[in-house]
Amino acid sequence: MRYLLNRIALLILTLLLISVVTFVITNILPGNVATMILGTRGSPETLAALEQKLGLNDPLLTQYGRWIWGMVQGDWGTSLRFKEPISQLMGQKMLASGIVVVMSLLIALVLAIPLGIIGAVKQNRWQDTLSSGTALLGISLPDFFWGIVLILLFSRGLGWLPSSGFVSPTEDFWLALKHALLPAIALGLSLMAHLTRMTRSAMLEVISQDFIRVCRAKGLGEGSIIFRHALRNAVAPVVTVAGLQLGYLFGSIIVVESLFNFTGMGWLTYQGLLNRDMPLIQATVFVIAAVFMLSNLIVDLIYTVLDPRIGLE
Amino acid sequence: MKSLLNPKGLIGLSLVTLFALMAIVAPIFIPEALSTKINVTARLMPPSFEHFFGTDQLGRELFYRVLLGAHTSLLIAVSAVTISILLGLPIGVLSGYFRGWVDHGLMRLVDTLLSFPAILLALAISAILGPNLQNTVLAIGIAFAPYLARIVRGETLKVSRLPYVEAARSQGASDLRIIRRHILPNIMAPVIVQATISVAFAILAEAGLSFLGLGTQPPTPSWGLMIQASRDYLDVAAWTALVPGIAVALAVLGLNMLGDVLREMLDPTFVSDA
Repeated sequence: MRYLLNRIALLILTLLLISVVTFVITNILPGNVATMILGTRGSPETLAALEQKLGLNDPLLTQYGRWIWGMVQGDWGTSLRFKEPISQLMGQKMLASGIVVVMSLLIALVLAIPLGIIGAVKQNRWQDTLSSGTALLGISLPDFFWGIVLILLFSRGLGWLPSSGFVSPTEDFWLALKHALLPAIALGLSLMAHLTRMTRSAMLEVISQDFIRVCRAKGLGEGSIIFRHALRNAVAPVVTVAGLQLGYLFGSIIVVESLFNFTGMGWLTYQGLLNRDMPLIQATVFVIAAVFMLSNLIVDLIYTVLDPRIGLE
Repeated sequence: MKSLLNPKGLIGLSLVTLFALMAIVAPIFIPEALSTKINVTARLMPPSFEHFFGTDQLGRELFYRVLLGAHTSLLIAVSAVTISILLGLPIGVLSGYFRGWVDHGLMRLVDTLLSFPAILLALAISAILGPNLQNTVLAIGIAFAPYLARIVRGETLKVSRLPYVEAARSQGASDLRIIRRHILPNIMAPVIVQATISVAFAILAEAGLSFLGLGTQPPTPSWGLMIQASRDYLDVAAWTALVPGIAVALAVLGLNMLGDVLREMLDPTFVSDA
């Protein structure tokens, strides 16, 4: 309990720091929101009036305070590009990205764990070369390239899956899954590659330990040794890597969602960046970093469940 | 101790050498005009003897554009990683060497930056500074710096507790001298490994940024931009995506393989994970 409270305190502190960094990044340039709203058409007088109205002449610290207070109260500002309150814009987008991220995690785990086990059990044989080669290829190709290959193959070529757009699962569940599948695979492949490598090295380390030799000496079957004894001990570090790689995943959704025109958080962030929509950039960047922090906390908690030796101290 | 002389090491080294040569030699022998020359009569030509890698939607030779793209890509990636070392190395060394409140303060900053996905941070910096070649370098460099700082700090912590550092201190060596003569040379191996792998990630990041229009700007040949431009012609000219895609893949693959082997060579305790 004490551990959990500590972690939550640290989380709040880090969230505050994240908000400071986000605010600083979006205020590096002298060009401000008022100039962006008016474009080049505004006269100096209207510009000055708008700056006054938006409070852009206040000290940065005051502006930061106002922004963070707004965020806490659920007033996340209005998007310049969409002319809509950002908190409203985000709801549906979070759901969309959530679906894709969870699907890609599942795809990555389902592929990576068997591949990694095969690589370790058949070390230095052709099965190992195949598994390691697949992993290396997955790491080396950009996710948007996978995306394009998937579109060419499954959408343009075979016509099985749609190549763009998002459908809400409340409208049509199966269609929603179909739309999310290709982006999820494109996202999941590089994660799969990292996890395969991690599973393989964790398994290699575990199967060289004494207790596995004892299992062998007892005459246990190979299947029982690998799945009941070795895998259980190897899975904790794999989960940690999966958690760390989530950050990479949250970065990649920007590229992949834009490619598939899948209107989730990544797509929304991209729209903000492309249009230099500062309020939208601030909110989306902050939310993505915060979700990443939270998922790390969850991973740490799962870790203690998987490996009871690590107490919640 | 393993050496570079195994299939993986040799393939990695050859690929990296090939791309490094391409990056250095291509701009000397291929005038930029050749890669930007628009030829409306030869649009979207498939690869053939006449058009080695095929042509793009403006009839530009993909062969030249891929070769010059290697220059853009490696120039950006290597410069960005240099910046991340320039930023990350001092932070990591100061943190690991002095510990205490210096460490606490700097690591809070580093951890905060680490809670932003690197590509998101790079995209945001590039979008706000305005996308161009220099800002792409800066954005990727800043986004990668905290990872390097973390690794350098860990190594410095380890090295600065070793007896020879104690010995140097007891002889009255100054902090600066200890850092320069004893710490830096002994943390270089992991820094080199991380730098090699970072160049691979930086190539991917540059391609991603350019793909989104927030990195290298046209008409500079860039692999990411070429893939971006190919999106509208996938049905009729898949090679316009595949050619630059394969270039990215081979460059990154080579760096990753080299990085893996270097890591196994320089860190004997490391269990191979590929």
